[in-house]
Amino acid sequence: MLKIRFHGRGGQGVKTSSRILGRAAFLDGYIAQDSPIYGAERRGAPVVAFTRISREPILERGYIFDPDIVIVVDETLLDDERARPLDGVKSGGIVFVNTQSEQAQVENVDDKLFIKYSITDAALRVIGKPIVSSPSAAAAAKITGIISKESIIQATIDELSELGLAEEALERNLRLVSEVFDTIPTPQLKILNGETTPREVIQLEYKGVIYEDIVNVGNASLRRVGNWRIFKPIVDYQKCTGCMLCFVYCPDSVISLDAKNKPIIDYENCKGCLICVKECPLHAITAVREVKIYA
Amino acid sequence: MSETRYKTLRDVPAEEYLLPGSPECAGCGAQLVLRIFLKALGGDAVLVNAAGCLTLLNVYPYTPLKLNWMYTAFASAPAGAQGIRDALDILIEKGKITPKEDLKVVTFTGDGAAYDIGLHAASGAIARGLDFYYLVYDNEAYSNTGFQTSGATPFATSTKTSQPTTLNPIGHEGVKKDLFEIWRSHKPPYIATIAPSHIVDMLRKIERALKYRGPKLFIAFSPCPPGWGSDTSETVRISKLAVETGVWPLKEAIYGEVRHTFIPKVLKPVEEYLKTQERYKHLFHPRRQEKVIKTIQENINQYWQKVREKEKLE
Amino acid sequence: MREVEMMTGNTAAAWAARLADVDYIPAFPITPQTEIIETLAKWIGEGLMKAKLVQFESEHSMLTAAGTASLAGARVFTASSSQGLLYGFEMLYSISGWRAPLVLVNVSRGVAAPLTLEPDHNDVLSARDSGFIQLHAENCQDVLDLILLAYRVSEDKRVRLPSIVNMDGFYLSFTREPVRIPSKEIVGEFLPPYTPTLPFCPSRPVVKGASVLSGSLYTYFKHNMHESMIRASEVIDEASRHFEELTGRPHKPVEGFYLDDAEYVLVMSNSFTTIGKKAVLRLREKGVPAGLVKLVMLRPFPAAQLARLLKNRRAVAVFDQNLSLGLGGIIYSEVAGALYNERKRPETLISVIGGLGGKYITMEEFEYIFNLLQHPEKIEPGKPVFLFRKDELRAVENTIKLAGVV
Repeated sequence: MLKIRFHGRGGQGVKTSSRILGRAAFLDGYIAQDSPIYGAERRGAPVVAFTRISREPILERGYIFDPDIVIVVDETLLDDERARPLDGVKSGGIVFVNTQSEQAQVENVDDKLFIKYSITDAALRVIGKPIVSSPSAAAAAKITGIISKESIIQATIDELSELGLAEEALERNLRLVSEVFDTIPTPQLKILNGETTPREVIQLEYKGVIYEDIVNVGNASLRRVGNWRIFKPIVDYQKCTGCMLCFVYCPDSVISLDAKNKPIIDYENCKGCLICVKECPLHAITAVREVKIYA
Repeated sequence: MSETRYKTLRDVPAEEYLLPGSPECAGCGAQLVLRIFLKALGGDAVLVNAAGCLTLLNVYPYTPLKLNWMYTAFASAPAGAQGIRDALDILIEKGKITPKEDLKVVTFTGDGAAYDIGLHAASGAIARGLDFYYLVYDNEAYSNTGFQTSGATPFATSTKTSQPTTLNPIGHEGVKKDLFEIWRSHKPPYIATIAPSHIVDMLRKIERALKYRGPKLFIAFSPCPPGWGSDTSETVRISKLAVETGVWPLKEAIYGEVRHTFIPKVLKPVEEYLKTQERYKHLFHPRRQEKVIKTIQENINQYWQKVREKEKLE
Repeated sequence: MREVEMMTGNTAAAWAARLADVDYIPAFPITPQTEIIETLAKWIGEGLMKAKLVQFESEHSMLTAAGTASLAGARVFTASSSQGLLYGFEMLYSISGWRAPLVLVNVSRGVAAPLTLEPDHNDVLSARDSGFIQLHAENCQDVLDLILLAYRVSEDKRVRLPSIVNMDGFYLSFTREPVRIPSKEIVGEFLPPYTPTLPFCPSRPVVKGASVLSGSLYTYFKHNMHESMIRASEVIDEASRHFEELTGRPHKPVEGFYLDDAEYVLVMSNSFTTIGKKAVLRLREKGVPAGLVKLVMLRPFPAAQLARLLKNRRAVAVFDQNLSLGLGGIIYSEVAGALYNERKRPETLISVIGGLGGKYITMEEFEYIFNLLQHPEKIEPGKPVFLFRKDELRAVENTIKLAGVV
């Protein structure tokens, strides 16, 4: 059995990725299983989805703790304490990272194989929007080495039509899927150690009543939701007149004002909604594509 | 109107009660409304919440809030507010806590709770004259569960449970309940509609409400980028358009007496508003549904005609 | 007020709330509970007690307010019954999860449909998994005492879980008998003031009821509640001893009646226990070694005490005034579970269903049960026995005929 785990953010469509891959495997005659984990995912929050592909009946469900292949749709998740996308990847497993790389790069890191490629840029080129769900599925399919191009194309058609995608958008998605499938290599998957680290089972102790209260008010800034951003607002302080509009209209309270009423943006937690960019009457704030490269 | 400390945007208080790091979507209109609302209300409050998008402001162990919060259930946040208000009152009366420990009690729910499942709880609280605030963030659907039709969904909106099809190209065939009028029939001291594009208007209304004892109710226009199919950066713009096209009237009612706080001189065509959102895309693509668009426009026109006639009489 | 007074179960409940000096009473009328809130409203109106009573638009709202007021620091008393309890059901789980130590009196009544007024315990037992401590009263004195006991245990910082005190509609709610009213001083000594944990506060804000969205966290908190509930058992024992010292009235979670040499034992709860006791006495007169176990505490379930009291008996019948359709008696299953690991468990365990919707249980029916205990071969083991009489059947059939549907 092959176990593939997708890590993305709410809105990036990793559920769809896992479904396209699941259907493609199904079309190729495998037994497949795909599922998402729902949590508090708003747009931008870490989300996980899974696809299992097998010749035999699949006697597993739910979270994949020991994936053969991990698809990191959003590179910023790599340093997200709560997402931890690399956890449990089998020794010899493959990690795909959607990162700033025009060509598909393959390198060994420790006992895992990393493939880096920017499907976001490919999507911006082909579709004009940072759509990453279908190309992620295509990347995963190619990496498995057992899914045909024909099936991944058909699965994309089936899944995206079900979501009500218009013909033209679907057409562009298919071009992107095809391009990504052709670009990504199929490295040999050599699982060196299929055993997961044993986890100890314990008996819970009772040390008195525990209240589910939160008194550390305002501690949410520890989340650092700034890594949800795709675009970053940058203030041109020469142009800024200190009109305060950006401060007023920020839904996340990440803009504070200095003594001259000029904005200071807390990038740790700015989600990049870009209301400030849109509302600034002097166009003193511009949106710049986030660049983060992970070694 | 009387003296106000809010004359321009420069008067927006700097103090934040909603700190960064919430898990809400980028560009969330509801969260912007809450942030501004709290600035005018102050931090000595407890928010009593019903199930909805903003329930997830607090996912254990994190909170972006700097004030008290109580999550109750979908149907009974106003009753939860009543329990806290009554407890504080009787504890102060019995000398068990000091008046310094008193709090403003605010029910804070989405439209699903306010218009549908929790409507009778609100009705009961208002009828009992409960001294509380009720802030509804109206994103016109059950957004938290993925955008299904609610009692606040406007006519001809596409939602996950009213998707336009060849059998029914219109989308939602019902009409948006008039919560303002439902509440107004109870004659509470203060009701207002607010919008996140009109911040000074919002601040002044909260300021006015602070003077009244009893139910003080706010319905806030709250763009929802994922549900409405709008860009996250468009939240304030869409709100502005909603007001300028007359879709979202800004008004208040003091003991039942209605006054519009902003009357557009000329209504912008509603199309300008509709076209900003994917939830109305079916009205223009693949072909224009002239009749439906006209019906929407006429309803707006009729509303404002009545408003203008009333203004003239006065 | 006399020290002993004729009063209904409802009045006894109101007296307990008054003696406990409760701060807040969210209310909603439902038969046969309404008299409780009417009485309290009257007393508050006359200045006899200082509390706020607010009537809500539903039990769901009422229970929500009860929970939030309790968290805000008020000692809260509320009451409901049957349909009402079920209408507010969602909030039971919330209240216990919030660790709001309020006391809810349930006046038992059969749950519709068919619509009826008289008692059985499907209403209160539906709440058995909700995290409420459950104490069930046999008589009007129990009602008063158990409510005071419930406050003491619920508010104890080792427990911090809400309680339901159950009384049967009509058989207790509207039945008057002498009830001893403890003095204010005694109650004051027994019941310390309620000190809330982290109440809402302007200078130290608190977030309550946040979502966890994690199976691990959810399990951790639920396990914690479960352990607190288990600890409640010891706290009840401790509080009962203190109560007995002060009032001379013992209240045990499980009470035995003629158990010493009993070979045939009937397990039951609530007001019909009184009639069950009479049946035991009648059988004793006839030379049958009969006995009875009364369950007062249904949650935490006193499994160990039950196993201790029931081991080495020849045959035991569990009288369920409730019905889990498709299974049988609810308490039967729980007693069977409690006995499974007891090596000297009774050979015969019979399930008896009786008293649904307040159907009266006659001496003949009780004797029928003890007869079955002596001759268990007459019935299929494990299959519930429905108590019903020939005269009743005749009346029922005639009534159905009048409805005209063949």
